[in-house]
Amino acid sequence: MDSWVIGMMLGVSVFLGSIAVVALMWAIKKGQFDDQEKFLNSALFDDVDELNDAVKLETKKKEAMNKKKEYRPE
Amino acid sequence: MSKKIKCDHCHLEFSEDVMIEDDGHYFCCNGCQGVFHLLSDQGLDGFYKKLGDEKLAPPSQQYEDSSNFNAPAFYERFVTLNKEGFCEVSLIIEGIHCSACVWLNEKALLNMDGVIATNINYTNNKAKIVWDDDVVKLSEIIDMIRAIGYNAYPYDASLQEEKANKERKDYYLRIAVAVFATMNMMTIMVAQYAGYFSGISPEIKHILNLGEWALSTPVLFYSGWPFFKGMYYGLKTKTVNMDTLVATGSLLTYIYSIYITLTRSGEAYFDSVTMIVSFVLVGKFLEALSKKSIADTLDIMSQHLPSDVKVVEDEKIVTKNVNDVTVNAVVVLSSGDRVALDGEVIDGSGNFDESSLTGESDPIFKQKGDSVISGTVSIDADIKYKVTKDYAHSTMSHIVSLLENAMNNKPKIQQLANKLSEYFSSTILLLSFFTFIAWYFYSSSFEQSFMIAISVIVIACPCALALATPVATLVGLSIASKRGILFKEAAQLETMAKADVLALDKTGTITQGRPEVVQSNFLKAFDTSMLYSLLLNSKHPIAKAVANSIYDEKLSCYELERFKNIASQGITAMYRGKMLAGGNAKLMRTIGLDVTSSSEYSEFYFAYGGELLAEFELFDMPREDAKEAISKIKKMGIEVIMLTGDHQKSAQKVAQLVGIEKYEAELTPEEKSAYITKLHEDGKTVVMAGDGINDILALASSDIAIAMGNGSDIAIEVSDVVLLNDTFSSLYDSFKISKRTFRMIKQNLGLSLVYNGITIPLAMAGYVIPLVAAISMSISSLLVVGNSMRIKLGYKD
Repeated sequence: MDSWVIGMMLGVSVFLGSIAVVALMWAIKKGQFDDQEKFLNSALFDDVDELNDAVKLETKKKEAMNKKKEYRPE
Repeated sequence: MSKKIKCDHCHLEFSEDVMIEDDGHYFCCNGCQGVFHLLSDQGLDGFYKKLGDEKLAPPSQQYEDSSNFNAPAFYERFVTLNKEGFCEVSLIIEGIHCSACVWLNEKALLNMDGVIATNINYTNNKAKIVWDDDVVKLSEIIDMIRAIGYNAYPYDASLQEEKANKERKDYYLRIAVAVFATMNMMTIMVAQYAGYFSGISPEIKHILNLGEWALSTPVLFYSGWPFFKGMYYGLKTKTVNMDTLVATGSLLTYIYSIYITLTRSGEAYFDSVTMIVSFVLVGKFLEALSKKSIADTLDIMSQHLPSDVKVVEDEKIVTKNVNDVTVNAVVVLSSGDRVALDGEVIDGSGNFDESSLTGESDPIFKQKGDSVISGTVSIDADIKYKVTKDYAHSTMSHIVSLLENAMNNKPKIQQLANKLSEYFSSTILLLSFFTFIAWYFYSSSFEQSFMIAISVIVIACPCALALATPVATLVGLSIASKRGILFKEAAQLETMAKADVLALDKTGTITQGRPEVVQSNFLKAFDTSMLYSLLLNSKHPIAKAVANSIYDEKLSCYELERFKNIASQGITAMYRGKMLAGGNAKLMRTIGLDVTSSSEYSEFYFAYGGELLAEFELFDMPREDAKEAISKIKKMGIEVIMLTGDHQKSAQKVAQLVGIEKYEAELTPEEKSAYITKLHEDGKTVVMAGDGINDILALASSDIAIAMGNGSDIAIEVSDVVLLNDTFSSLYDSFKISKRTFRMIKQNLGLSLVYNGITIPLAMAGYVIPLVAAISMSISSLLVVGNSMRIKLGYKD
């Protein structure tokens, strides 16, 4: 009984911690820390406009991809 | 005078009457006006709000035609196709100096059709742009960047830099996992050790062991992967290195601990596995952290050569790529241009700045029949020249290829720790093997002998050994950087400490790099404003130096007439009907004044209306602290040699002033580098200090290259050490700090060896209990770190 509780606590805390580590690793891989200055300045450029731009960019990319597929069906 | 107002684009202030007024806005030039309208048309005027009070450089209007960016050859070299079928290019964007600039560039590019993604790095102004080549061409993208007031040129990102970034990222990921697991491991260890002393139920101990097992697995196989890779490459080349020891040690410990956990007997050592891997990984990372890349240097280097030249063809001037120009073609060169190809002047004359090749700042006069060399700059010459060598064989391209060669073949002195670890690792592995054999015969229990053999490897934990060098160098680097000395790579401290010879460039390194008035003699009282106004018209360094020496607030600028620049003699002009003349003795004689030059320095005379009024003597003086620093460096047992492209006479003079016995004068860049290679052949470790483009070959071939902070960009790029505050005493300091650091490294290595000398015999005898192992391990690491901190003593500031 005792060891079951300890095992569970150990498991849960390591699991929670590992979520944070995986998130950190994801951010490093995505290149979010590549540019320290930009990383710090990003707080200044965090507006509705920026969010809209990000969405616009996504759709633009999707459209371009679709167009590519139409051109050369494989 | 009218009041000054700000330009609405670049925020520079100009007086109101020169401004262009446009609908309530004011602009200093058409360029600014154009950019302003473009931004408001695109809905990007939020830029000015973000810009605040920052000032911008007004946009340049002159750019080479962008269409050559669409050439297939260009695409082949710089543009890559990513896996989604889009084009990708890496650009360096010029003119970025605040976050608003980055914002504007990204915004403007993303507004274009066909641009899929942009990412501009604020720190190094490098941009990565992804676009759909069917919709938009690269030339249009570059035109857009230019239209909003910046400039862009491509660079080849596939080289070293990219690789170094990738390596660094890889380390971050591995360290993140290792640190996380180590920290959790520590909390479990508290319970384990508490249990060791006060008793613990076997079930709980088992659970804790299982937890440790789970935590140490990713550390060993993910974070520790570089060690296994290192061991594999080591085995392939049949060498034993530190990686072999770390990999075998931690793997054996891991397997042993699993066995203990499953059989529920004895103590598991999962904590040692994670600690060893984490510590050594961090040490490895510290060393890899500041590796500089060759790629960057060559990028800037090729920027020093123009890519297009104006060629006369069928009596018309056409712009051609330098690679397409053949020998005997006639090239037009205007003042301010850089020469791209070697050639011979066939028409016109003027002064050239050859400092990039000789290091001397005095302009050189060239006329018909003289040769022009690529890489030099025309100061005021508008000439035509006949190409005598094609681009690939011209001097500057030749230097670039030599440089590439020299940097790739830079001598690497093996670090002490690496050399030591080779012996250390093989000794430990052998000892552990013999321990196993001996114990097996003695006790004939496989389990016991295996356990003791492993404890030898675990005890010989290379933590202290692996930390000995990086920690000491890190402390050394931080002290150096506080004193304005920038070491680009940690290992260089050690190399520098072993130096035998210091080679110095003369102009710009030992001396200031520009002449200064050392003596002025006013023969008669006269209005110095006349002389000042005359001097302001000349760009010659001597004129500038004299102007500086006589400058004071009360001087005013007179209107001079018929100004004339007489090459390699001086300048003349008319003022109130009489002639002003300033120049050397030769000029004075041509206007009928008899002066005898007796000084060993350069001289400058000034005459008005045929009457000699003043004499000045000028000399490129050595830096103030040069003599003292050089004598201190000599006292360290380092031989000091001066290498210069200047004449024998002035080289001798400077060498005498600063106390250098050995010097070589009239050397070309190649000869300087050859001289250093010769020193290498004699088995010497050479430190070279220089500042100019003429020194880069020598810098690249030396063991340690030191650049003065105000030197040319390329010299700084090529160098391993940069003296930011540009003084000679920091040159001495850099030697002192590196020697001190190296002494600490040796002490650290000694400490960790002594530690191992005591504990390994104990382990072989089977006396080591886990607690002792863990405590002695941390103590040895702490000793090494603490000892390294001692470098700071004596450097209070």
